[in-house]
Amino acid sequence: MKFVPKEITKEVNVTPVHPLVNLAYLLGTVTLAGIVIYVVLGLIASQLVKRIGIETEEQIGASLVNSLPNRIDTGDSRLEYLQDLTSSLQDNLSQTEIAVVEYPPVKISILDMPEENAMVTAGSHLMVTEGLLDQVESENELAFVLAHELGHLHNRDPLDALGRSLVLMTVSGLLGVGQGPNSVLVPNVLNLTEQGHSRTQETMADEYAIALMMARYDHGGHSLDFFRRLQSEEFDLGVLSPVAEWQQTHPLTDNRIERLESIAEASDWPLTGNPTSLPEGIECANFEAPC
Amino acid sequence: MELLVPLILIGVGFFVGRHFEAKHYASIRDREKKTLHVPMMNFGAKQDLPYAHDAQLFVGSVVVANDYFKTISAGLRNLVGGRVVVYESLVDRGRREALLRMKEEAIEWGASQIVNVRFETSSIGGKSRDQGLSAVEIMAYGTAIR
Repeated sequence: MKFVPKEITKEVNVTPVHPLVNLAYLLGTVTLAGIVIYVVLGLIASQLVKRIGIETEEQIGASLVNSLPNRIDTGDSRLEYLQDLTSSLQDNLSQTEIAVVEYPPVKISILDMPEENAMVTAGSHLMVTEGLLDQVESENELAFVLAHELGHLHNRDPLDALGRSLVLMTVSGLLGVGQGPNSVLVPNVLNLTEQGHSRTQETMADEYAIALMMARYDHGGHSLDFFRRLQSEEFDLGVLSPVAEWQQTHPLTDNRIERLESIAEASDWPLTGNPTSLPEGIECANFEAPC
Repeated sequence: MELLVPLILIGVGFFVGRHFEAKHYASIRDREKKTLHVPMMNFGAKQDLPYAHDAQLFVGSVVVANDYFKTISAGLRNLVGGRVVVYESLVDRGRREALLRMKEEAIEWGASQIVNVRFETSSIGGKSRDQGLSAVEIMAYGTAIR
């Protein structure tokens, strides 16, 4: 039998699918799953917020806060000042159109860290950092930050975040997401939705804060100075900034200021006024400057 | 930044990987045509082998690694299951390249035909799926006779 060479021109071992179509299909599946998880998280978190009692919340909060290092919650007279300032803000809530929401009494502490930050957690623990106290230049600035955190408490964001992260951790643990080659893409997709949610919460807290500032000081002057200083330090990404924002838990400072200014304008709130000065030595323990 | 870096890597993986794949396939088809005149065939244990003066074993082996785009696509595929399309072309290229290397060497030696050709595949590295080299070694061997 003579061998007659015959060329095989058909590719049988490679499926004729464009790799990008294939990837698009796969990404679509992941995104769909992400959306489903997001909705389920929202439902569960809202149920949790509704059902959790004040006492349970206090217990969870205490256990969360007690593990924080360098936390000062007694023996510093600045705590009383911050508590008074917060109470005076809360007392003015009735002057705004915002409905009253029940949450545990606010407990203030100072975190000894150089970063400028403030945060709240379940059980209404409000923490400000030494870095923030060092940087603020007027009471208005500090009050705005406190009012923003009160806004989070008002919207029950700490509980919402607690519920969401609980479910997210369970789900990703079950699915094994975050292991293997997917560790770069899948958690990021989930993160983007989570951060989008977080930015909405920040914006709402900002809206609450500006309304409260107006009720307390009758003007919004100097409240945004702290953000303006942050803004000048922020690197301007130009056209890329929306991309940068998707990956942030907070809206870009630029957008925050713009948004607050437009709210003030729409409500006819003046954004100018005399600043209320801070007590001397706010940056030092017990106001004992120099430190 | 967390998302941009992988996206850039995926883009680079896709374009570079695709370019080299197209180039490789062109070379494979061309060389397959050139070596078509030497038959390769397998014989059973009880069949007589063709008569020959000389016989020698030839081995062709190749190691192929996947690009970042393929890794990501395959990783996502792992979540839902199904055909890992992106790896099909990779393994196909590897098999054909290994076979060609073996055949070309045999032809150079003066083979009139190659009998009992076998394939072996083994994965290299990639024990932990996150890191390390993820590649396959494909080896083709057969007995050339002249």
